[in-house]
Amino acid sequence: MSSLRKGLLEFLVLKIVGANSVYVPDILRRLAVTEFATQEGTLYPLLSKLRREALVQYEWQESDVGPPRKYYRLTAAGQARLTALDEYWNRLNQTISDLGQAPCNASSLSA
Amino acid sequence: MQRIITVSLNRNAYQLEEMAHARLGSWLLEAAGRLRDNPDRVEILADLEQAVADQCLRRMRNDQTVITLEELEPALGEVGQVELPAEETSATPAPTAAPTSPPLQQVTEGAFISGVCRGLAHHAGLDVTLVRVVALILLFFTGGGMILLYLALMLLIPYAPMGTGTGKVRKLPLKSREMVTWLKLKLSAVTG
Repeated sequence: MSSLRKGLLEFLVLKIVGANSVYVPDILRRLAVTEFATQEGTLYPLLSKLRREALVQYEWQESDVGPPRKYYRLTAAGQARLTALDEYWNRLNQTISDLGQAPCNASSLSA
Repeated sequence: MQRIITVSLNRNAYQLEEMAHARLGSWLLEAAGRLRDNPDRVEILADLEQAVADQCLRRMRNDQTVITLEELEPALGEVGQVELPAEETSATPAPTAAPTSPPLQQVTEGAFISGVCRGLAHHAGLDVTLVRVVALILLFFTGGGMILLYLALMLLIPYAPMGTGTGKVRKLPLKSREMVTWLKLKLSAVTG
């Protein structure tokens, strides 16, 4: 279960970053209310991996209350990856719900 | 009374009590260790330093200028120790067999200088007094040589986690542990 969660976290982070330009506390807040609640110690290494894979990029923005912040957004490649993952996720959902139902011929026989 | 130590976290100055300073040093060193194969190690450590500093500041009273363990401990808990993403778990070879003796580590508890003798004794299963006597004899015959050797071992042999050994925690070993930890941290940032 934990490796599945770890893999899914990447998908969810791409989704959050894809929705709009965010900095790390925004991402943590969005995830905090889900079962994927996570911490900086996990998120920074993940974002740095996504950046090395050229899926996200960040730019510095001045802040009124503290040091400048890194705002992350998707690159074109990141957007493409997110679209592919979305499609894969929908297919997977379909497969799982199909497998949970009795096959067509069996159900017609019992009817 | 605790000394106050000023440190730079992600290039901003912060003041910490010495116990908090020692705790932060070992936390950062552990984070650096987990990131040792990561090409963005320096950048991630800077991000984490900033996150810890933010968390501490949020927990301080308005008139408070020095970070203590009371703010640091929950701050470290909030930031969480480094977890690498799924495919990037650093390729540490799994231990093949159960170690026959405890790893060679410096043991701070009960140590006089830094814990080298205590660590060696623990590792080799010898009495610490015997190791110390041998070290003293060597010091007598080699003069400066033994001192250099001790300093080298102090830097090279990693520290056992606090709580590994038994006995009194003296000031000098704690201080030298703190110094060596920060030195290693600085070195890891330079060579990273």
